[in-house]
Amino acid sequence: MSEAQHGALQLQVKRIEAVTPEINRYTLCAVDGSWLPAFSGGSHLTVLIPVGEETKRNAYSLMSSPYDTSEYQIAVRRVDDGKRGSVAMHSSVREGDVLLAGIPANLFPVSKHARHHLFIAGGVGITPVFAQLEELSLKGSSFELHLAVRGPEHAALGYELKDRYGDRVTLYGHDGQSRLNTLDILAGRPLGTHAYVCGPTRMIDDVVASAHGLGWSDSNIHFERFDDLGSTGDPFSVTLARSGAVIEVSPEQSLLEAVEEAGHTLPYLCRGGACGECETEVLELEGTIDHRDDWLSESDRCTNKLILPCVSRATCTKLVINA
Amino acid sequence: MLITGIKSRPVYDELTPMASGLNHIAAAQGSGGKPLVRLLTAMTPEQLASTTVLYSTESFTGHNFLSELQQFAVRELRVFPGNADAVGGLDTVLAAAEMGTRLYLAGSEGFIGTSMQVATSYGMHRDEVLREHAGSFVRRVWCAHCGHYSENVAHRVFVCPGCELNLIVRDHYSGRLAAFQGVKADSEVPGELPANEELDT
Ligand code: FES
Repeated sequence: MSEAQHGALQLQVKRIEAVTPEINRYTLCAVDGSWLPAFSGGSHLTVLIPVGEETKRNAYSLMSSPYDTSEYQIAVRRVDDGKRGSVAMHSSVREGDVLLAGIPANLFPVSKHARHHLFIAGGVGITPVFAQLEELSLKGSSFELHLAVRGPEHAALGYELKDRYGDRVTLYGHDGQSRLNTLDILAGRPLGTHAYVCGPTRMIDDVVASAHGLGWSDSNIHFERFDDLGSTGDPFSVTLARSGAVIEVSPEQSLLEAVEEAGHTLPYLCRGGACGECETEVLELEGTIDHRDDWLSESDRCTNKLILPCVSRATCTKLVINA
Repeated sequence: MLITGIKSRPVYDELTPMASGLNHIAAAQGSGGKPLVRLLTAMTPEQLASTTVLYSTESFTGHNFLSELQQFAVRELRVFPGNADAVGGLDTVLAAAEMGTRLYLAGSEGFIGTSMQVATSYGMHRDEVLREHAGSFVRRVWCAHCGHYSENVAHRVFVCPGCELNLIVRDHYSGRLAAFQGVKADSEVPGELPANEELDT
C-alpha cells in the first residue's frame, strides 16, 4: 500500500473530465502505482493545492468505489470565492501532475442500523453519495436518491447514477421544471429510515426542518456542509511530551495533520472523531479544548484529560500531549 | 428504583411525553401500568389521540392497572393476557409505524428487554424510546447450556426447566439476549451447590 510521507499521499492526476460546465472530475492514483489507503462511503480527501506561494487545503468527497483503491476520484466545482483553490484545480492542474493529499477521513458515514437509506442531494453535493451508494448497493442495503440539479447541462452525474441504480434515483430540475419537495420525500417513511442530505446550506436547513416537523429524531438525520469539512479554526500550538517538539497547527489543518506534517506519527483510523483510535492524553493545558469528536463522554470532555487530535482543537497558551 | 452494582444492567428512564414525536406507542406489563397511567396523565389531549397503548395483564406481583388505563381517551388500547402476546402485538404495531413515532416501555426487566429487541429490529434508536422499570426485579435468565429462557427468576440458584441442570444466575446482563446468564452451579463438585440467596428483587 502507498505510504503517506509526513501524512501526505503523492497522487498523480490520471484523468480530468469536465462533467458539467462548472464541475471537473479528477481520477488520481498513487505515483508508484501501489494501492491507496482504504476509505468508506462518505469520506473526503484533503488536497494540498499550490496557489502562488501558498498552499490551500481543500476537502473533496471521494466519489469512486470504496471497493477499488487502485484510484481515487474527486469532483471539483469551480467557485470564484476568492480562496482560489478550486480555480487553481481547474486552471493549473493538468493530467500527469502530482498532487499532495491527506489520508481520507470520514465525517459522513452511512448508518449501520438503518433499514432504509434516503439520500437528498443538490448539485455538487452528489459527490459523497456516489461512494455511499456503491457501498450500500454491494451490501445489498435498501436505498433511494433524490437529486436536484439546476438544468439539463448540470445533470450528467445524475444520469450516471440513474444508469447504475434505475428507479432508485429520482432527478429534479434536469428537465427545467420538476422541483424537489423535501416534505413530500420525507413523509410517511417506515421506522428505521435514515436521511442523508448533502448540498447547499438552504437545502440542508430545509431537510432538517422538514424532518423535525415530521417528528424525526436527530439520530436519523445526517448532513454534511462543505464548509465544515476537516478540522478548521484558530491556530494553536501543541507540545509533544516525548520528543519535546513544539508544533504549530494552522487554521486549515487538524492537530493530527500538523503532527504528521512535522514527521511524527499518531494512531488513527477514521480521522473523523468517531472511532477513538487517536485518543491522546492531555498532560498540561492552559486554556480550553474544543472537543469536536463523537467519542468522548460528557464527563471525559469536562475533565480535559483526553483529546482526539483528528478533529479537536484548543484555544490555549499551552497544550502538552502524551505523544 | 434499583441500586445495584451490576454495570451491565440497563439504566432506566422515567416515562414522560416526548413532545417532538407525532405518534406515540406505549407498552406495559403488570406493575408497568402505574408509570403508564402517570405518562398518559401528563399527555395533552392531542398526544393522547395519537397514542396506542398495549397492556399485558400478566404480573409477577399481581398488580393490574387495566381499569385505570381504560379512563384515557387514547387512539387505541389493546389488552393482552400474557407478556409474550403483548410483545407480539408490539411487533405488529411497529411494523406499520412511521418515522416520528416515540415508544414508551414499562414493566419487568424481561418485558422491557424483549420489547426493546423488537424495537431495535425496526431500527428504532435509543433517543426514540423511554423505558421505566416497575415491579419486582426478578430476572429473565438465559441458560448457557440449553439456551432456554426462564422468566421471573428470584433466586441465585434454580433448576433450568429446559435441561434440568442446577443453574447459578450470574450478574451479567446481556442487552442482546435481554437476559442474565445462567451457568451450571455444581460443575466443580457435582451435587455441591453454592449458598442460595434471594436475588436483588
Ligand atoms: S481517528 Fe478515529 S477518532 Fe480520531
